[in-house]
Amino acid sequence: MGKGQHASQALLGSVAEIIDSPHNKIAFTGISSDSFKSVSRTNTSLFDDSPVNETSEKSQTVTTAHQTSGHSSHPQQQHSDGKRKHGRLASFAGNELPHQKPPEMEDVPLFTRVTAYLSFMLIMMIAHVEDFFGMLFLPQKYVHLRVQNGYAPMVSDFDSMWTRHFYFRMLDCFNRPIGSVAGGYVKLCERISHDYNRTIHYTGRLQNVLNLASYNYLGFAQGEGVCADRAIKEMAENRLTQSSTRAEAGRTRLLVETEEMVARFVGTEAALIVSMGYATNALNIPSLVGEGCLIISDALNHNSIVSGARLSGSVIRVFKHNDTRDLEKLLRRSIIQGQPRTHRPWRKILVIVEGLYSMEGEYCNLPKIVELRRKYGFYLFLDEAHSIGALGKRGRGVCDLFNVDPREVDVLMGTFTKSFGAAGGYIAGNRELIDYLRLHSHSAVYAEAMSVPVLAQVSSSMRMIMGEDRENALEGQQHLEQLAVNSRYFSQKLKELGFMVIGDHGAPIIPLMLFNPTKMLAFAHECHKRNIAVVVVSYPATTVITSRVRICVSSAHTREDLDYALEQISEIGDLLMLKIHKNRVKKLE
Amino acid sequence: METVASAASFASSASPVAAVADEPSRGLFRTAWDFSFRMVLRYIKNSYKDDPFRTFLEVCLIGFIVWYMAKPKYNIGTNEIELSEKEIDELVEEWRPEPLVPALTEFERETLDKAIMIDGPNGTKVRLASGSNNKPVLNFASYNFLGFVDSPELGKHAVESLRKYGVGTCGPPGFYGTLDVHMELEKQIAGFIGHSAAILYSQAFTTTLSVIPCFSKRSDIIVADEGVNFAVQQAIFLSRSKVYWYKHNDMADLERILKDVNKQLVGRRGKNALPRKFIVTEGLFQNTGDISPLAQLVELKHRYKFRIILDESFSFGVLGKRGAGLTDHFNIDPHEIDLLIGALCFAIGASGGFCCADKDLVEHQRLSGAGYCFSASMPGILTIAAADAIHALEADPDSYLDNLRDNAVQLRTLLKRIPGLQIDGAADSPLIHIRLAPDTLVRMKRSGGAWTKTDIDRVLTEVAEEAQKDGVLLTRAMYVDDHERILPNSSIRICVSSAHTRKEVEKCAHAVKSAVSRVTSKKR
Repeated sequence: MGKGQHASQALLGSVAEIIDSPHNKIAFTGISSDSFKSVSRTNTSLFDDSPVNETSEKSQTVTTAHQTSGHSSHPQQQHSDGKRKHGRLASFAGNELPHQKPPEMEDVPLFTRVTAYLSFMLIMMIAHVEDFFGMLFLPQKYVHLRVQNGYAPMVSDFDSMWTRHFYFRMLDCFNRPIGSVAGGYVKLCERISHDYNRTIHYTGRLQNVLNLASYNYLGFAQGEGVCADRAIKEMAENRLTQSSTRAEAGRTRLLVETEEMVARFVGTEAALIVSMGYATNALNIPSLVGEGCLIISDALNHNSIVSGARLSGSVIRVFKHNDTRDLEKLLRRSIIQGQPRTHRPWRKILVIVEGLYSMEGEYCNLPKIVELRRKYGFYLFLDEAHSIGALGKRGRGVCDLFNVDPREVDVLMGTFTKSFGAAGGYIAGNRELIDYLRLHSHSAVYAEAMSVPVLAQVSSSMRMIMGEDRENALEGQQHLEQLAVNSRYFSQKLKELGFMVIGDHGAPIIPLMLFNPTKMLAFAHECHKRNIAVVVVSYPATTVITSRVRICVSSAHTREDLDYALEQISEIGDLLMLKIHKNRVKKLE
Repeated sequence: METVASAASFASSASPVAAVADEPSRGLFRTAWDFSFRMVLRYIKNSYKDDPFRTFLEVCLIGFIVWYMAKPKYNIGTNEIELSEKEIDELVEEWRPEPLVPALTEFERETLDKAIMIDGPNGTKVRLASGSNNKPVLNFASYNFLGFVDSPELGKHAVESLRKYGVGTCGPPGFYGTLDVHMELEKQIAGFIGHSAAILYSQAFTTTLSVIPCFSKRSDIIVADEGVNFAVQQAIFLSRSKVYWYKHNDMADLERILKDVNKQLVGRRGKNALPRKFIVTEGLFQNTGDISPLAQLVELKHRYKFRIILDESFSFGVLGKRGAGLTDHFNIDPHEIDLLIGALCFAIGASGGFCCADKDLVEHQRLSGAGYCFSASMPGILTIAAADAIHALEADPDSYLDNLRDNAVQLRTLLKRIPGLQIDGAADSPLIHIRLAPDTLVRMKRSGGAWTKTDIDRVLTEVAEEAQKDGVLLTRAMYVDDHERILPNSSIRICVSSAHTRKEVEKCAHAVKSAVSRVTSKKR
């Protein structure tokens, strides 16, 4: 019987493993089986307090249960946990990230985890029951999921389960239209639904809310000011668009000059501008690697990298998120084993990492990865979509933050959507690479060239950050400093309130953990009531039980704005029981 | 009795978890636990008494499960060779990767050096940065079919919209990146085309790249035209569906394949008995200027139960009485097209693309269309520009489209008269590819050497340069040569615009004529 319990444990563990893998990552062909092991291990510890042993030593088991789960109420242990967390951040400067389980699973009270799993299971159970009886009694509602008139359904019922039963219920949190520039404050279009989101009505009223959702890190999303004026001037001179590709008749002087400026900003020889952020990855990676090449990708890389990697036709392997030891192990194994089946040596190995992970608020361990690059000779592709402009003393991204020479990174990719308040992205690197891409990148040859106002916004905001704009020399620097202060202040305060906040210190992305999927809707609603816009994210973007609120701090926020937000979020936290570490904070005091 | 007991034991296994979580009620749970445990024990005792063999069997079964769970997991990569650390270090040391990118060839270097650079605004007349004299040249290289790029319509509300929405939206549509004008434009496009709903993407290429894999999955079937543009090819590759290619615009070949596919499916059973089946083609082919025979496609679709995915990137705004694309051109109900993909960056002169479909399918894309879900939305200015352009087209389609058609027909007739060229494509397509006729190539290289693609590209580049000297901007159609499935024959792509005058069209034809005669008469 006792052994049977273990069996069921393993079974539950494997269920957790399936649940936990975000679907866009499953798609990787070479997914390493152990990449999720650590998660499943922690999950199984949920059931560690096996009741079987209790017959003999009742009292003992209770204590072991506490110890194994590691989230006890013993003050000493909590204290050491706190230390460990600090140690992790401190050790970052020493180029070494300790090998550990995924950070979101750190220090989560058992109660939270159990209820998160239970509520997820309940949702799925209700979904299945609803579908079962619905198909029985209301077949007309399920017509679109059945074969009709010889046509297979466009969306299979299993694939759409999540959308129909979960996303649909909380439709209200997503795709909320806005009616203004997404600055420090934003005007939300008010909408209501009287029939559980089946139809949504827009009242036409606008609600002015504090914007903790947009990626407007440096506050350059403005309708007024230097950048906007420059955009208007450029539009008057150069009109709006090119309606051609960069390789044909879309290459203008403005584009070439902006590309030169981007290269100067990033610290490389040359740069190539792409008119869309997603396309910067998806349409350029295939030109760098192909058959016989290997892509080694971080487990939490963005979907655009996944698409780009798949389009390239190369072999894809995944290493554990931010785990350089796993990366090294994978590199060694890959280099010595060579290509699958033939064992020919790899033509190229491209390691793709992000500078700042958008859902976790974590930096990549760039110094260590650069060190590995020197040792193993792979090529490094760094996606700075979120970090460029937002990190580092001079706003030059993670390279600036870690004092790494940008020339140590082979391909620097970034977007203008975030810090620069524009759109699109860039690829920067040495001249050879960029010249090659100008003729061989899918984006340069087939996709539309960047429009004029966007180019103007990019170049004017970049000039301000670099201090090249003499009239507004100080403003850019002020934005950078304000962002750094705001990010640190906000995450520190949230932690002090007892919320579970993950992510690295000083990152402008601050994920606040909710865990229970149902709390997402409640949190978003409460925030809207209190005139705050936040992003709640769950399953497709994160693992199923690590639902979270993602707060993006901007330099456009004043201290008063942040204090107001903290006060309101604190109230919501009390209401929704989100202050997971409340007791710990008290004890520390 | 037994079932009750086992049910109780099952319930009890969950209780300790809650017991830890809920301290005050621990005593109660403990009692419940003890009670249920005794029941389990009694169950085992009773069953042993009644039927020892059964207990034996159960123990065996449990033993088997434990053994099965405990045995080492099956590992796919088992053919790896075990090596010592020293050997690994040596091998790592020995491995030399290829350079990240190959060096450019001499011709590629030339192409890059001579690339067109426009100084100032784009439009029907442009100034070139490289031009020796600063005289504007006529632009026949941009896809500015309706002349919107230089029309005041496009920038009518630019300043207002910039003041209101800024430049970037700073977020994906799901996270406060949807502007009210995005929704208005979606409605406007759906209304203009006559479909149920539409969804906006922020780049035309990515629209195609997102829509096809969003619906066509690994087990599904795509039957596609061989002549489709690169975005469609990439999208099909990304979807990993089973793909069959039919000869370009050959309906007989298409029908043969559709029949074949259906025949293969007859015997299939189980979950994937009926995959989703799609015909994928383009409205106005970017690489040839041909137009798809939509009426036949729709007929075949119904006969063989396929769905149609139609890329109207180049036909939207160009074909049809109202400029609403291929369905308008053939007067076919747009609902017949299951997924209609269009671009706003070419004829409309703004940026991005869209997909028209039934409401359900559009909503599905808001979560599953990668380019929609994972990237920032279209800037407000460009959205409003697109809306203004479509409004203008809707208000007075004839003034744009009549001119465009006349110019297209006229230029095509003039170009066809030029000896040594091969001009394909539909009669009224404003997209005209000029190719060197095979006999011209034979005549040009009397020495008998074979023509390589680079040679032909070089000749065409020379033609474009010569034309540029005469004040007409032309471009060779650019491709990523080694990534195209079937590389189209080299050509110069001429895009006619409704904003060109008759004289300008004549000038273009004349410039091409003299450039071709100058270049082809040269000794090689």
